[in-house]
Amino acid sequence: MSTDLGFWVLQMLNALQLSMLLFLLSVGLTVIFGLMHFVNLAHGSLYAFGAYVAASLSGAFGYWGGFVLAPLAVAALGAVLYFTLIRSMRRAGPMAQVLVTFGLIFVAVDATRLIWGDLPMGSAVPKTFEGQLALLGVQYPIYRLFIIGLGLTVLAALTLVLSRTQIGAMIRAGVDNDQMAACLGINVERMFMSVFVLGCALAGLAGAVAAPVLSVTPDMGLQILIPTLIVIVIGGLGSLKGAVVGSLIFGFVQTFGAVLLPTLNSVLIYALLAAVLVIRPEGLLPAKG
Amino acid sequence: MFRHTPLRLTTLGLMAAGSLIYAIIAGFFGLEILAEIAILAILVIALDLVAGFGGMVSLCHGALMGVGAYAFTVAANEAGMTALPAMVLAIALSAAIAFAIGAVCARSIGIYFIMATLAFGQMGYSFVFQSSLFGGDDGLSGAPRLDLSALGIDLTDSRTFAFYAIALVALAYLVAALTLRSGLGRSLVGLHHNEKRLRALGLTVWRAKATAFAISGAIAGLAGCLAAQHTQYISPGLMSWTVSGEALVVVILGGLGTLVGPILGAILFVVLKHEISSITPYWHAIVGLILIAVVMSRANGVFGFIEARIAARTRTRKPTLKEADADA
Repeated sequence: MSTDLGFWVLQMLNALQLSMLLFLLSVGLTVIFGLMHFVNLAHGSLYAFGAYVAASLSGAFGYWGGFVLAPLAVAALGAVLYFTLIRSMRRAGPMAQVLVTFGLIFVAVDATRLIWGDLPMGSAVPKTFEGQLALLGVQYPIYRLFIIGLGLTVLAALTLVLSRTQIGAMIRAGVDNDQMAACLGINVERMFMSVFVLGCALAGLAGAVAAPVLSVTPDMGLQILIPTLIVIVIGGLGSLKGAVVGSLIFGFVQTFGAVLLPTLNSVLIYALLAAVLVIRPEGLLPAKG
Repeated sequence: MFRHTPLRLTTLGLMAAGSLIYAIIAGFFGLEILAEIAILAILVIALDLVAGFGGMVSLCHGALMGVGAYAFTVAANEAGMTALPAMVLAIALSAAIAFAIGAVCARSIGIYFIMATLAFGQMGYSFVFQSSLFGGDDGLSGAPRLDLSALGIDLTDSRTFAFYAIALVALAYLVAALTLRSGLGRSLVGLHHNEKRLRALGLTVWRAKATAFAISGAIAGLAGCLAAQHTQYISPGLMSWTVSGEALVVVILGGLGTLVGPILGAILFVVLKHEISSITPYWHAIVGLILIAVVMSRANGVFGFIEARIAARTRTRKPTLKEADADA
């Protein structure tokens, strides 16, 4: 079977789809870290919140209602978090940040259980993307192709904004040296807030897109957290390119590991992470040279 | 440096006396809770040793505890060893693995250290979760308890087991305190303050870090042996990173870098857990809120708060230089 071209195409698409989902999550987390040096372990919970909002709204407003409203809701939640917790924890050191956001995970998991209950929720694929498409000799669900396309679109948009616009230049300056950026008249504080909220919105978007393919459960945020962290640590904390490379590495290692080396699969990605940390402690493509 | 201040000694004495009295009067359920506290207390002593004094915030201590528990169970069940050699083997294995992790991660600091230990911990978790030798996600049952019948002690009795658990906590504390008072402990604290200075003084940094991590791992392995003997059933859940996260929470709630505080934290955590979960199924949220409040308050946990309060009071009453020095 593994000599069959269709098999490789299929696994390649699966790997790409996983990579793009992880990219949507990790890009927000990594840019927040690069800019603010803030480790937000609750990022996965924001993704879960997005998935729940999308799943519950899809009944009333259809899939696209949830698709638009979930990122907005998560962004609003992110803004609330920013002003209540994140801003005052910014200079507190990594351990305090890890702990506060770890506490947030506890609260978030129980809050979702309280609001939506313990049972998994489902949400339907939109009508436009139902069915399968024949591609290079394999049948592949259109919705999953949509996820790949969405990830690539977000990637293109972010690359464009970061490399070609003034806001992008300001953000890059902030990642490089926030004090110097502030001296040059950039309102770093406001930029932090916008980037944090945008990162949250992307997590919400990831949740909304993931809702129809994964089951929406209270612990989905916790489950996605470790892969997301692996992605940004492999790629290098704070860099957009790192998030892309990290997502692709994770997606491909995980998918091809599962079919080619099923016995070693789960250990493989952690071993890779450990190897990266030993050889290049700052990740493959760190934000700062 | 780690000192036994009168407050710390008093707290230790009170906790020891309290747990011994409780072990005499408690019913079956109380004894189970006592054993649970003891396991957590040993684990947090191990974590505070490296995190509180060496600044090595580890998220793999749950996995190291799991190594102890699994090695003990497999050595006793599969290799047919009796409980005592199996325990020694399990603790040695935990220490060896911890040494390797410590050596590899010695160059990483801050968030990278946290992530690296998280990776190693999850690697162990996934390995055990998939491995058929270790029972996969079903876990393993049938770990024996230590056989002390030669001394006339029967550990299958839960009251005796509670005393045994308390004795192991005392042992773990003693090892940690002696380590901190040794040259290695002083180097560890020095490394936390200024690594470059210690390197300039000629210390082999990675070896000091790895050795401290190994001792901490050995203590975590002891916690694992006790856990395996307590419930006589172990599952991969023991090794999940959330267990390490919870241990870190307990260290913080108790008081990072006080060694006494985390034990107090373990008592408070387990008691609170049982009290709150009898009222509401959402006890994790309450723990999360308490954690956020404690970290945001900038107090060093419950014990650190008490220490700071008493230090402030002594200073205002008798502001002599000598006392202020002793408090620092």
